[in-house]
This record gives sequence, structure tokens and C-alpha cells, in this order.
Amino acid sequence: MSATRSNAAEGETPPRSSGVGATYKFLSSVRLAILVLSFTAVACVIGTLLPQQAPAREYLSRYSESTYAIFRFLGLTDVFHSSWFLFLTGLFVVNLFLCSIERFSRLLKNPREDRIPNEKALRAWPNSFILKERRVEEMVSLFKGYRQAAHDDRGKIIDRGSISRYGVYVIHGSIIIILIGSLLGVMFGYRGFVTLGKGETKDTIIARDAKGTPIPLGFGIRLEDFQVSFYPDGAPKDYMSRIDIVDRGKDVEKADVRVNHPLSYKGASIYQATYGSDPVFLFNVGGKEVRLSQGGTYRDGALVMMATKFEPSIHNWGPGVQIAYLEGNETRTVWFVKAVPALREKEVGGVTVRLDDIAKEFYTGLEVSHDPGIWVVWTGFALILFGLYINFFVYYRRIYLLQTSEGVLVAGTSPRNKEVFREEFEKWREKANGIK
Amino acid sequence: MALNNKILGVVTLFYLCLFLIHLLYFATKKESFLKAAWIFLYVTFGLHTVGIITRWIESYSPWTWNGVLSLPYPQGPGHAPLSNFYESLIFYAWCISLTVILLKKKLSVPIITGFASLIALFCMGYASLSPAVDRKIEPLIPALQSNWLHVHVFACFIAYAAFAISFLCGLFYLFRLKGMPAGEKLEEMNYQSIMVGFPMLTAGILTGAVWANYAWGAYWSWDPKETWSLITWIVYALFLHARFTRGWKGRRLALLSIVGFLSVIFTYIGVNFVLSGLHSYGSS
Repeated sequence: MSATRSNAAEGETPPRSSGVGATYKFLSSVRLAILVLSFTAVACVIGTLLPQQAPAREYLSRYSESTYAIFRFLGLTDVFHSSWFLFLTGLFVVNLFLCSIERFSRLLKNPREDRIPNEKALRAWPNSFILKERRVEEMVSLFKGYRQAAHDDRGKIIDRGSISRYGVYVIHGSIIIILIGSLLGVMFGYRGFVTLGKGETKDTIIARDAKGTPIPLGFGIRLEDFQVSFYPDGAPKDYMSRIDIVDRGKDVEKADVRVNHPLSYKGASIYQATYGSDPVFLFNVGGKEVRLSQGGTYRDGALVMMATKFEPSIHNWGPGVQIAYLEGNETRTVWFVKAVPALREKEVGGVTVRLDDIAKEFYTGLEVSHDPGIWVVWTGFALILFGLYINFFVYYRRIYLLQTSEGVLVAGTSPRNKEVFREEFEKWREKANGIK
Repeated sequence: MALNNKILGVVTLFYLCLFLIHLLYFATKKESFLKAAWIFLYVTFGLHTVGIITRWIESYSPWTWNGVLSLPYPQGPGHAPLSNFYESLIFYAWCISLTVILLKKKLSVPIITGFASLIALFCMGYASLSPAVDRKIEPLIPALQSNWLHVHVFACFIAYAAFAISFLCGLFYLFRLKGMPAGEKLEEMNYQSIMVGFPMLTAGILTGAVWANYAWGAYWSWDPKETWSLITWIVYALFLHARFTRGWKGRRLALLSIVGFLSVIFTYIGVNFVLSGLHSYGSS
């Protein structure tokens, strides 16, 4: 969007007859830009209204088999990773680049209109006044902040805010930089998820794709401790994982990872994403304290027992756990219920087993990502803000000073900010008339 | 009811009066009503600011938890009132008034300021009266405990407010009644508000992306709110290109600014109630 030049811009390029020329012209046209942006918007609407990357049954519960087949064929079940969306983005970058280059070269070739219109034309402008019996040279210093842009023997052109004309190119350039940065991230980075119980160490994470591909990190993460605190209404207030980075068998770094406070190690960032809890069963087996998590096994001599199933609520009796044990060669199961005395203590394989408590053990969910393009993206962000600032909050205006037989004719214009400039011009008029 | 709710309730009544003063102006066309409306807008905006600051201060007070005296700071340290639907509506109305005041320097059209105060009244009224809106001060969940909250929400809401002004300009351009300002004036104001809204929306999306990178581990994850803010951004980018490089004018641009605002509404409210995602803070 070049703010200062307008619709006449199209068709200024000399017509090229070859097919290459026509293609180039199409690829660098604003028409294509509008088309691509509109398509992208439609794609985004589809991508939020249709469930994305969901399992097949979710689609089939809402749509018929053939509709689902069409969705899959068109890539609508994963719009933002489909090949046509990638193509659209690529086309957008090419178009944005060519379009900007085209316009920018025109701006460089002919940076500004530098002919002073004739007296009659300038007198007709809404922003104009005449200073009788004065000369152009003595008037220039009055307009503080303005620079001389051009001059001829009849007068001068002074202007201000000309940097704003480059804003649009800074914005377009930054968008390309951001997209390149994100491409670097997609190509050379990774992202995944890992859950860790207290004391556990893992060196692979699971990618967030449909297959759940494991990704090796090259170092291990051990969860030393996990803490969560709650507000009185039960909402989480803060949660934190105390982790150790284990690299080549050595503890190299300790850190507390909290929401909004990630840890960086060797280019990977580790974020506190979620947490959850597993039940832990505290048994007293023949006088000994035994701690079993779900699926955990305890052996003592001939006794082998395993916590096979957890139910948060059995009838109305509260939580209970199913224990499987061996009697001879046969597997038997028995339920323990914490809140019912008769179901809390039983003989298992000749030993008295008592369920003392069912506790919660928290595990942490960490998001791990490596994004080599991130600084490119951040650079693009900073540049685009600068570009937006000079494009929207600085505005271009120019004043013509023309020597006439009567005196100096002053006329001003601002293509984009007429109302504000009108006020500014009024001030110049008052100031100029004040100098006698 | 806490003090902030009472103040904000009075502010709601003020917005009602503000709209009525505008109606009186439309009926009589007396300039004195317009002057009164502007003075009243400054007063309303001032009290509105006081209400928001009171709520901010009250979030630090140990007494506000469910109205029962409890241990100091049970809800954690206080926070800017930008964390739930009630607070966002209050803040949105505040942003609309601020935008109207800021744009006054460039342009002011009575029909636009009048209906902007109607939108603010609607937001304040819904926030203050609807049984579906929880007006209590709630503690901040961990993801929102960040300084990015202030700058991100501020940028987005100023943008939404500017787009509301643009929407009104487009709407009144299409349905011009007798005695309304000339089409060019509405077009100019429409464009001026998008000049504020578009860079602010961009800043809002970018600060959101930086924040998301710290909180969720990725600066962009095609979350519905992110995606819809991108759609809104595209619509206004189209507006600017259509105007400046294709020379669109009049009805087509007015329609585009209406479409843009529908997208804003969906980004702000629709996403929270229709689609689920990471950004589900504003819905209760």
C-alpha cells in the first residue's frame, strides 16, 4: 500500500508481450495480493470452524463418510499444514516481494514530483495564501522542520515527514523476514511434549503431530520436585517444576520452570505447560509400609501383588484400588476401598494387607521447543513496528513557495492527512502574516 | 457489591445520559447540546477511569474475597482489571471513549460520537446487569501472570475501539439520513480510525505472539483467537490496499469496514463462546 501514489500506478510499466512478462506482471500485481489475502482469510475461517487434526471418528460423528473423504482430499482437516496453504503463503511472499520491488524502484527513480505547479493552479488550492512584497528566500527559514526538496528559478518546494513514504516497504520487508524466520523454525526446529513424575528422567519428547513421533533431545530432563498451589476457589495459583538438566551423565543445570518463565538450554526452551496427578496407594503389608503406583508391583518372598485398577468412586464408598496377586499358579483379584473398614484390610496370599491411604502424586507436563528462526522473527517484529510507526504516525506534507509579481504564494498539501494538515497550515498562515 | 462495581454502575448511567444529550442535539441541532455532550464525555471518561483504578486497587485488598474477611491476599497480589469478561467489557467501553477523545483532534462527527457512546453504554450495561457475567474480582491464573498482559490487551482493545468507530462511519455512510454529515467526512473519519486501529491491532498481535512464546512455548499455534485476529488483520489490510492502490471509495469501502468489525466481534466474543482454544480467559 503506497499511500502517496495511487490508482494511476497500474499500467505505468511498459507492456511486455512475452509470456514471461505477463506472468511477472501478474505476480507483481496488487490484484494478486488482494486475491491471495482474501483466500488466506477464507482458509483461516475454515481452519477455525472445522476441527483440525482431529481423529477420524470426530469428523464422522458430524459428517458423512463421503463428506469426510472430500475434506481429507482438500486438506481441510489440517488447513494450516496442507500443501495448498503452504503454496498460498509462498505465492504471497513472491507477490509481496515483487510488488514492493516494483513500486520501490519507481519511488527511487522518481522520488518526488519536483515541478512547481503554475500560479493559477496553486491559487486554487484550499491551503494557500499570499505574502505580499516578500521574497521566497526570506520565507524558507520560517517553516521549521521542513527541508528543501526541490527548487527552480520560480520558487522552492519544501517538505517534511518524507520518511513515511518508506514505511510501507519496511512493513512489507518485515513480513517477509517474519515468514522466513518461521520457515527456519519449521525446517530446523522441533517442538514436543514430555510428562515427568517426581524423580523421573527423560531424554526424548513426543512431537505434537498425529503420529506422536519421538524426538531425542541430546540431554536429559529430571524432575526433582513439582509444586502446585491453589486459590481458595480451587483454581491453580502457581505451579512449578524443579528440574535438573542431565548432560552426558552429569547434572549441569538446575532450574525452577514456571508458567511464563521458561528455561533455555543448548538452544532448546523448556516451558511449564500442564500438570496432572496419578493416584498412589499406601499399603501396610504384614507390618511394612509399601507404596504402589498404578501398575506397580510388590514382591516379598512368595507374595507378588500388583495395583491393577483405580476407581475414583466405587458405588458411594469413595476411591478404591484393585489388587491382583498370585495364589499358587492362579491370578486372583481383590478390591480395597479406603473408606469402608471391612474392605480396607484383607488376607492376600496369607499376609495381612491394609490400605492406609490413596494419595495424589503430581506429574508435570513440559513443552520443549527448539526454534533457530526465533531471532529472525523477533527482528521482523521490531522492524514492522517501526514501519507501522513511520507509515501511520508520521505523515508526509509539502509546501510550495512560488515567487509571483505580487509576492510569495504559499500553498501546501498532504495526501493522507488533510484535516490535520489544514490546522497546521492555518498556523503557518498566522505565523507568516505576523512577520512584518 | 464492591465499590468499583458501584462506581462503574454510575458510569453506565452517565453513558446513558451522554447518548440522550446527543439525541437532544440531533432533535434540536443546537450547538450548546454538542458542547454539553463533550464536557459530559470528559466527565464520564474521568469517572470511568476512577472506576477502573478502584477495581485495580481493590484487587489488592484482602477484604474483597467473596465479600468475606480472609487471610491477607488470598487471591494473590492484585492485578490490572483485564482478566475476565466483565473487566474486558468495562475496559472496551473505556477504550472507545478514549479513541473518540483522541480522534477529536482530527475529526469529530456528532452522529459518530453519539453512537460510540451507545456502544459504550451497551458494553457497560451488559457488564453491569447481565446475570451471565461474573462481576467478582478473580485471581489471575498462572498463564496471565505476566507484564505482557497490560500491553497486549491495551493494544488490542484500542484497535477494537478504533474499528468500532470505523464501523459506525461505514454504517452511516451506507444509511445516510437527512441532516447527516457529508459522505466524504465519514469516509475520512473511517480512514482516520483505521489508521489508529490497524497499527494497534498489529502491535496487539505481535505482543501476543511474544507473550505466547514465553507462556506456551510457541509464538503462533493457530489457536482460534490468533487465527481470527489474523483474519481481522487481513480484512483491514485489504481495506488499506483497496483504498490506496486500487482507489476504492464509497459504498465498497464502507461495506469492508462493516465486514471488518463483524470479524472484530467474532475475534473478541465469538471465539470465546463458539470455539475452544488456549485463549479461553475472557469467557466467564
